[in-house]
Parts: sequence; C-alpha cells; structure tokens
Amino acid sequence: MAQNLQKERNDGERKKAQLKAAILIKFCLSVEKSLTFSDTMVALRIMRAQFPQIDKVSIQPFILQSQLYSSVKDRTRVDRDLESLKREKVLRIFKLNTGQDDHAIMFSEDYSSQIERVKKRSQEKKLGNLEVFEWFKTHVIDFKLEPSIEHHELWTLLSLGGKVKDEHISLLINAGLLTRQLIDPNMYWFTIPNIGSILKGISQGRKEVLSLLNRRRYKEMMLASLEKKHLRLSSLDMRFHLRDLIGSGHLKIVQTPTGLVVQVSKD
Amino acid sequence: MWREIGDREAGKIRPNAFANRFKRNRIESLQLSNHKDIVSAHRGSINSLQVDLTEGRYLLSGASDASVAAYDVQRPTEYEGNGIIGKHKCLFVVDRTHESGHQYAVSSAVWYPIDTGLFVTGSYDYHINVWDTNTTQVVTNFKMPGKVYKTAMSSLATSHMLIAAGTEDVQVRLCDIASGALAHTLSGHRDGVMTVEWSSSSEWVLVTGGCDGAIRFWDIRRAGCFLVLDQSQSQLGRRPPILDRSATNKVSSSKSSSPSPNLPVKARAAQRKLSNGSSMKQSPIAKIPAKGPLRQRLHPGMLSAQDRATAHYGAVTGLKVTEDGMHLLSAGSDSRLRLWDVESGRNTLVNFETVRLQTSKPMQLATSQNSALVFVPCMTTVKAFDMWSGRTDLTFRGHYECVNCCYFSFQDQELYTGGNDRQILVWSPSRLVYDEMDEGPHQDQDNWSD
Repeated sequence: MAQNLQKERNDGERKKAQLKAAILIKFCLSVEKSLTFSDTMVALRIMRAQFPQIDKVSIQPFILQSQLYSSVKDRTRVDRDLESLKREKVLRIFKLNTGQDDHAIMFSEDYSSQIERVKKRSQEKKLGNLEVFEWFKTHVIDFKLEPSIEHHELWTLLSLGGKVKDEHISLLINAGLLTRQLIDPNMYWFTIPNIGSILKGISQGRKEVLSLLNRRRYKEMMLASLEKKHLRLSSLDMRFHLRDLIGSGHLKIVQTPTGLVVQVSKD
Repeated sequence: MWREIGDREAGKIRPNAFANRFKRNRIESLQLSNHKDIVSAHRGSINSLQVDLTEGRYLLSGASDASVAAYDVQRPTEYEGNGIIGKHKCLFVVDRTHESGHQYAVSSAVWYPIDTGLFVTGSYDYHINVWDTNTTQVVTNFKMPGKVYKTAMSSLATSHMLIAAGTEDVQVRLCDIASGALAHTLSGHRDGVMTVEWSSSSEWVLVTGGCDGAIRFWDIRRAGCFLVLDQSQSQLGRRPPILDRSATNKVSSSKSSSPSPNLPVKARAAQRKLSNGSSMKQSPIAKIPAKGPLRQRLHPGMLSAQDRATAHYGAVTGLKVTEDGMHLLSAGSDSRLRLWDVESGRNTLVNFETVRLQTSKPMQLATSQNSALVFVPCMTTVKAFDMWSGRTDLTFRGHYECVNCCYFSFQDQELYTGGNDRQILVWSPSRLVYDEMDEGPHQDQDNWSD
C-alpha cells in the first residue's frame, strides 16, 4: 500500500516535471517561432498585428522589407510574392529615405484609411481644394503601382477627376502624400503621411541597437535579455528594430546551447 | 571519380555532363591557394584584372599607382617551400616612370581579344593607351574628356576593332584602333558612365551602366539605345512564359487592372494617352507628351534619351553579361545586385544577400562557366552567389582591405582577386584531392616501390 502511494507520488512528480519541460520547450520554440515564418503573407499579417502602439503619432501599421527578409528564409520568394501582391493591389510599397534601399510595405486598406485621416485633418484646417484627395485615391493610387511617379503623369491622372491646378499638387505635398525627389525635380515619391518622426526613430533606433552591441566586449548578447531592453531614442519596440537589422544583414542570430545569441556580423 | 570515368567510357554519362560535374566539384572546393602565389608588382590598389582569352595564361592587372603588369599564371618563375609553392613574378611592369606611361591611376586594363600582342589601358589621366606587349611601347592613344572608368573590347567582333570607353562624361565613346580616331559617341546617359560591357551574343550590342542608375543597351550601328532597364518592370521567374507573350499583342488593356505579370504594360485608354517609363524594342511612338513644355523634334532613335527609368537607386558600379548572353547582372551603389533577362528587359527579382557593396569605385564581377555562380566583391570578402536563387554559396575571406576586382578563369577553375591591399590573391581548388588521385599522400612511403 505504501509502495503504491509512493509510486503514485513519483508518477505525479514525473508528470509535473514533464509538463514543466513541455511548457519550457514551447516557450523557447515560441521565441524562435516569432522569428521565422513559412509564408510571406503570414509574416506580413503577423508583423502588422505586432506593430507597436505609438501614442503621439496616428499612423497605420507598416512593415519594413528588411523585416520580411529576416523572417522568411528564401529572399527571392519574398521579392516575388511581394511583386504579385503588389500587382493584386493587396499592398503598396513605399521607398523610405532612411538609408540605402529601405522600403515600407503597407496594406491597401490601411493606406486608404490613412488618406482619409489626412483629408479630415485638412478639412479641419479649412484648406481649399479638398477634392484632390478623392482624385488621388481613385485615379492615381489605383493605377500607379510603383513607388515613384513623374510630374506629367501625375498631372494627367489627376486631370481625369477635374481641372488640376498647381495648388492641388502643393496640397498633396503638404499633406505628406507626395515628396519631390532630390535628384530629379520632375519625379515624386509616394510617401506615408505623418511618418516623419517614425523614420527618425527608425534610424536612431538602429544606431542605438548597434552601438549597444558594439560596446560589449564580444559584440554579442543573448536574445532574451536584448528583447527586454528599452530604447531611449526610438518610439518603436526592440523587436521591430531587431527584425529590421537581422534582415538587412547587420546582425545575425546564432544558436547556442543556452539559447539564441545576437551578434554583430563582421562582413 | 573513377566510377564516373568508367561511366563516361561506357556512355552512361554524356561527356559534357561529366566535365561539368568535375568542374563543379572543383569550384566548390575553392580556397586560398596553397601552391600558387602571385607576387604583386604594384604599390597601389589593384583596380582591374583580366586573364587573356586566347590561351588563358597571362594575367593583366592595372593599379592605382599608374602601373600595369602582366603575370604568367601557369608557369611560376620560381619555387619555394620545397618546390610546393610556385611564385609568379611579373613578366613586365609599366609604371609612371615609363616615357608614355599613365600619370594617374589605371582603372581598366584589358587584353586585345584576338591575341596577347596588344593590350588597352584606361586611366584617370584622361587617356586610353594601346600598348604593344612585346616592346611595351604605346602604339596609339586616345584623349577623353574625363576620367576613364572602364574600357572594353568585344571578344566576338569580327568586323570592328572598337574600344568602348566609359568616362566621367555623359557620352560613351567608341575608339577605333584601326584608324586611330574616335568612331562615334553614344549619348543618352545623364551622368558619368561607370561600366561598359559588350554583349556576349552580338558584336554590335553594348551595355552601359551610368552614375545616374540607368542601364542602357546600344546597337552601335544605330543612334540611341534600344533598351533601358527599369527596375520596376519585373517578371516572376527566369524566363517569361511563351503563352502570355503571344496573348499581349491582341489585347490592348485599358487600365491594366488585370494582373498580368509578364506583359509589357502599354495602357492606351480611349480618353488619355499615357507615356510609360519603359521603352521596348518595337515601340515606334515612345513618348510624345500631349501638353508638355518641350517640343523639339527629335530623331526617333534619340527619343530614348528622355527615358528616365533607373535600374538601381544609385550608380551602377558593375555589369556582367552571362556567357550565353541571355541574362545580365548589375551591381549598384544601393548595395543591390540584380539579375535581368536581356530578352524581355525585365528584372527577374532574384534577391542576392548582399549587405554592403563598395560604392565609389567601379567593380568587376565574374561568373563561373554555365553561369551557375556569380562572384561578387563585397567589401573585404568575395562572395559566390547561386545565380538563380541568390543564396550565398561560398565566401572567400583573405584580403585585408576592400576587394575591387575578381576574375574567374574557366580553364583552370581558379579565381583571381585584387583589392586595395595591393595583393592579387589566387583561389584554387584544393590540391589534396588532386594529389590523392595522382600520387598518394606524401607521408605514405610505399614499401613495395623500388
């Protein structure tokens, strides 16, 4: 009888130990799972859901292209999937000025709601020529899928809505939907409105994370402890920056017996 | 390996497949050579390397200290280390002290493609010199309006002997050796031209990449370029499918709302006439803006000068046409490497995992035979990427500073790289495998051989 009781107790303890082990493994896997996804669309949706909440600026979630590269293994497939999604008008790609070849991906419905918000703000400021937003939305965005547009083409497309004046284009630029290109005065980039402070946050956050790791003796840190750190200069969270830096190749993740380690890559 | 030779003998493997398999195994074992060493005669960073195309024996290098040297890469000048390491010293070196040598950095040194009797060098002192190899004298020289970034001669040419020169000036110049004068100029770029390459499928086609980010294809028999590559025109794969292309000629899509991936988008709705960025080969009416400021009457060939499509978001620093002439690789100062399909003029969207590429100098790319691998100098390393998937296959770390140029010799499967640390490094397939096949390991003393 005593033996049976002891056996039950041992069984119970063993089960508890097994349960603990299972939870621990799942936790580790989930940290790892948050870094790799099987499919571009899945990665996009999950990253959109994980976009950090920023209080001061009202902006819809966007994803940097380098973040996608960190999550999906095959980069060529990511590029091609993005291209086909862009052609299906599910999402839109914008070129950012934070560095060489940075692109932001935003879903079309998010972008439309952002344009609505901008239009409402312009209405509150009692500016004229508000019909240009409608023309922009229906004629330009639907047709031109590339991140840049020529002045003449913009004029022609907007003219489909009505008589275009220079003030209309100035309104679009002031609202933050278009920017002039520095190299070529006749070309415009499409931009996301209200994104200025976030772009600054992105570039400063990148520098901060890299300097954090570069200051250490072996230029590496455990991923678990790095994720908990809080960034001073950027309003975006650490996970956002880590994905971006891993995808652009500045950092790399190494498997060690104690867990995942983030290292500054040497090349 | 012996089994494969037996299979080839029996006819189970085709001879080409056998040779390719052997070569691929050798390429995969490329490492810093332990039996070959090139003693660099330069005191400046190496800007250009080329092995001659006729024999595959002589390596020509141009450096920033205005020196040009040639090395014999098959026969060492002396042996070291018990006869294992072969040292290759230069056969001759031409530098600033030479009476007609260059005064500033030599940016490009190429052999005359027919034989090694002549070589052509281009330098930042605005001159292109044509040298006689045996006497090391300048035969002809051409003065350019700006620093010469790259010179190229076509290896397929049978009816012309033109040197294409890309300089700081916006025009690409073609110099003729036979007459000693400038043949013609090609205008269209809006900034200096950093790279020029002749096509490997036609002796009349020249590809140029400019500092404005545009890549243009020129047929030198006509005025103007016939193709400008646009990075936003892309196709989702190596080649466009045949079916879709035949369908486009009948369909005139009005608003291009239907996603048709591999079609040249020509939207001509009833109400409006748009001018799109891409100019295709057969487009007779490229861009005639209905109400625009400028109204010059341009030669139809020159309409392409108004095409502002860019292939890279920065300058184009390197170009390489694949051996079969069907694809083009381009490296840009936006640190991207792109693969283009020459036939359709589209970006194939292969993503090469390059982090950072050198941006201020032109760089030289190399491809392996059959174009399976592309060798790219990435800062201080040279990486070999798989051409169709973009994965990094091999990394060659050996230089102390930035690598500028690399050349892959098809004959020996050896890679030569030159960089800012004034060294020319040789990367060859590991010798051990070779020895095992032929002689047996050194320590094993046969006790039955007498």
